[in-house]
Amino acid sequence: MQQEIRYDDRIVRQFLIAMVLWAGVAFLVGIWVALQLANWKFNFDLEWFTFGRLRPLHTNAAIFAFAGNAIFAGIYYSTQRLLKTRMASDFLSQFHFWGWQLIIVAAALTLPLGITQSKEYAELEWPIDIAITIVWVVFGVNLFWTIARRREKHLYVAIWFYIATVITVALLHVVNSIEIPVGLFKSYPIWAGIQDALVQWWYGHNAVAFFLTTPFLGLMYYFMPKAAQRPVYSYRLSIVHFWALVFIYIWSGPHHLLNSAMPDWAQTLGMIFSLMLWAPSWGGMINGLLTLRGAWDKLRTDPVIKFLVGSVTFYGMSTFEGPILSIKSVNALAHFNDWIIAHVHGGALGWNGFLSFGMLYYLLPRLWNTQLYSKKLAEYHFWFGLLGILIYYISMWSAGITQGLMWMAINDQGQLIYPDFVETVNRIIPLYWVRVIGGTLYMIGFLIMVYNMIKTIQNRGTLEDEKAMVPTFVSLEPSPQESTHRRLEGLGTAFSVLVFIAVFVGSVISIYPVLNIHRYVPVTVSVEPYSPLELLGRDIYIKEGCYVCHSQMVRHLDFDVIRFGNPSKVEESMYDRPFQWGSKRTGPDLARVGKKYPDLWHYRHMINPRDIVTDSLMPSYPWLAEKKAEYDQLPKRLRVMKSLGVPYSEETVEKATEIARKDAQAIAQSLRDQGVTDDNLAEKEIIPLIAYLQALGHKVKGNPNVSLSK
Amino acid sequence: MNQNQEKPMEGHEYDGIQEFDNPLPGWWLLTFFGTIIFSFLYYLHYEVASGPNQEEQLKKSLAAIESLKKGGPALDDEKLLALFQSSSPDKGKSIYAAKCAACHGAQGEGLIGPNLTDTHFIHGGSPLAMYNVISNGVLDKGMPPWKDQLSFDDSVAVTAFVYKLKGTFAANGRPPQGTPEKTQ
Ligand code: HEC
Ligand code: HEC
Repeated sequence: MQQEIRYDDRIVRQFLIAMVLWAGVAFLVGIWVALQLANWKFNFDLEWFTFGRLRPLHTNAAIFAFAGNAIFAGIYYSTQRLLKTRMASDFLSQFHFWGWQLIIVAAALTLPLGITQSKEYAELEWPIDIAITIVWVVFGVNLFWTIARRREKHLYVAIWFYIATVITVALLHVVNSIEIPVGLFKSYPIWAGIQDALVQWWYGHNAVAFFLTTPFLGLMYYFMPKAAQRPVYSYRLSIVHFWALVFIYIWSGPHHLLNSAMPDWAQTLGMIFSLMLWAPSWGGMINGLLTLRGAWDKLRTDPVIKFLVGSVTFYGMSTFEGPILSIKSVNALAHFNDWIIAHVHGGALGWNGFLSFGMLYYLLPRLWNTQLYSKKLAEYHFWFGLLGILIYYISMWSAGITQGLMWMAINDQGQLIYPDFVETVNRIIPLYWVRVIGGTLYMIGFLIMVYNMIKTIQNRGTLEDEKAMVPTFVSLEPSPQESTHRRLEGLGTAFSVLVFIAVFVGSVISIYPVLNIHRYVPVTVSVEPYSPLELLGRDIYIKEGCYVCHSQMVRHLDFDVIRFGNPSKVEESMYDRPFQWGSKRTGPDLARVGKKYPDLWHYRHMINPRDIVTDSLMPSYPWLAEKKAEYDQLPKRLRVMKSLGVPYSEETVEKATEIARKDAQAIAQSLRDQGVTDDNLAEKEIIPLIAYLQALGHKVKGNPNVSLSK
Repeated sequence: MNQNQEKPMEGHEYDGIQEFDNPLPGWWLLTFFGTIIFSFLYYLHYEVASGPNQEEQLKKSLAAIESLKKGGPALDDEKLLALFQSSSPDKGKSIYAAKCAACHGAQGEGLIGPNLTDTHFIHGGSPLAMYNVISNGVLDKGMPPWKDQLSFDDSVAVTAFVYKLKGTFAANGRPPQGTPEKTQ
């Protein structure tokens, strides 16, 4: 018996339009922050417009708004067709859509205001974190419910990837976001220092894996064979590379923390699991490209195929480069500089961007019941995009390697050849301009697409949900002739449980031991918690996004040690909530900056860095000397810290505001003695910030040579 | 690969998408097993056998760098004065503007750091005394050490520049600090 049903295509149109809107925002902000690095004047000396606050907006918009809406569009379109049923609940679909857009708007408002947890790609504060959890659960319920109501016994490989996405993203988000609120817009994570670093990069790396890779692989498995009208190359390869990816990816997080204070064994795990990821990743690429056998001629004529092939090729490049970058010695050269930025954008612009565009060109005529307005324009889009990516990629690759080599260079007298950090930054500024050109070309391609899209939609036919004839009933009973995996493909729940186990095992083994590590800090080492004033300053440092340009991690590398001082140790950050190890050094490392300069130096440097370092590209922060610091929040903040185990006395907590004000007076007085004339100086944000900067590297007493690595 | 012989798998059809059951490419399997074996050996070497940990490796390379430093020329006032002659005044001036002016003022008149244009010195006004204070700094008082930040030639150039400032008495200078230098 067959029955006529209609797929929900409206929700797909909604997500698709949202994807295009947010892509525009993400690209525009991207070009803007690129300009800010090429010339500091693009910061406009406006607080909500500085690099430190806009760069997180750019990454969040690109990942969660652009790529997020793209995968939802593709998942809603393909899932219904692959399972031969309409989405289980239109209400949940709409809830998902509007909830997600609201979250994006909340992000776009809070990040420029400096409301941030400073954990990369997880910056949003706790109320938004809760909203994300709810919306994600709604999405998950809708998807699994649809799977349960399917009229197709076996789950196709695309669906496997969607299942892995839903389960793992939920796990990552919840564990990384465990935080204690200290007000509506501020929280402290329960993880501190090394724990926080490891949990964050377990999350961060696997956000790339399970938000930017697995769902896109699922889309690839749907749209590639559809567009090429060829069967998928190898079912066996699908099985092997799917399970290998899901199991291996989750262990690789520590490759973001190589040569750091992270224990050796965790670094080793991070590195070798990254190496082992190479082949499973390429499995996806092979399956995608070889599906085109017999249809290569379409590459010349069909823009959809062009974009998909471009996308899968960039996927192959990025997943080869990734394992290479995870080798400790290569990482010593590449980490903290623009090589990593090149790597990310090969993935984001090439793999995610091109796949989304290919999908859009495929869906446009089908969803709006018409012809694509112009194939020619789609061709132009492709070439502008490709040229843009190549220029971006090559410029940042050169910038990264140039700067990395300059950092490492030591002459035959054992001295750094480029001891002046600023020189290593200014050497690559021309390449920052080249990057702006690359990004602009990519944006032009995108605008051509928008024009093409508008024209296509203007010619639309009647908008109807597509009809399909599906069986009224499909038995989901396993049959004895099936191979084991084939049987599993008929068992949605069992399949999902296995996926969960696969990601859970690696997570526990690679993270759990590190969560206990602070307990092993020997008692001979005493670490003083931040004074109330310093803590207040630390929160300002976080709010301003200083961490997007400054690391606080002197690695176990000779050239790092000569430039910045003794290598960072686990105990130094054991009260740091959140950790501030950083991931990019546009400015120098700050782990040892305390007491390196007098207070007045910092005062003048913060207000206008160019008063001190003539050709600095650091933004000016004049408002720090105007805005009042939140002294009265301090008891609340210290109370939360104390409850998390920071050894503050009850008295310090209660009198935190007074203690901080007293310390502030002392700093303000010394600045005034040296000629600073601001009114009411001690109340201003710049004072706690200076106190924090001066404390960096000076909180550990006792024997500083303790090793926790083995 | 002869595609005519290749048949899509039976029963594998989803929304019109079919699947072949081609074997895993040999080179792909080789890569996969290769990385697994390498990883296993790497782990054994560094985490089970006694491969060096990162702290040991760092110590070794720092010791090697330290050994390069030994045997530099012993300096005295005379040698320095000779080096001052051969160093480029422009270089000294531009290093001063970039690194020192923030604390000692554009003219050397003093700001956060002391006036360098008078004839009073906290640490002495001889070439060697100046060279030493510039190289080693006075961390507690807010004068950074420059020996790891500047190459030997650059240090000499900026010391030469500062040495020439002595006694130029810039306008609006900070009051003298330290002891007056004995005139020879
Ligand atoms: C756009 C990147 C960028 C951002 C954002 C940024 N900085 Fe910087 N910072 C730099 C660069 C480049 C330098 C080196 C040149 C200089 O000293 O101005 C630097 C230098 C510094 C130094 C001197 C370090 C040393 O050892 O000489 C301090 C301290 C500092 N920054 C603090 C901050 C603080 C605090 C914030 C946040 C309020 C911040 N920076 C934000 C780029 C940045
Ligand atoms: C961060 C601020 C700062 C910077 C930058 C700085 N100095 Fe100083 N400098 C000081 C202070 C403060 C003192 C006084 C030290 C003391 O009281 O012992 C000083 C002292 C000196 C002295 C000794 C003066 C005396 O009276 O004996 C010399 C010479 C000197 N600096 C040269 C330089 C040169 C050359 C540079 C650039 C390469 C430089 N300084 C950069 C802050 C600075």
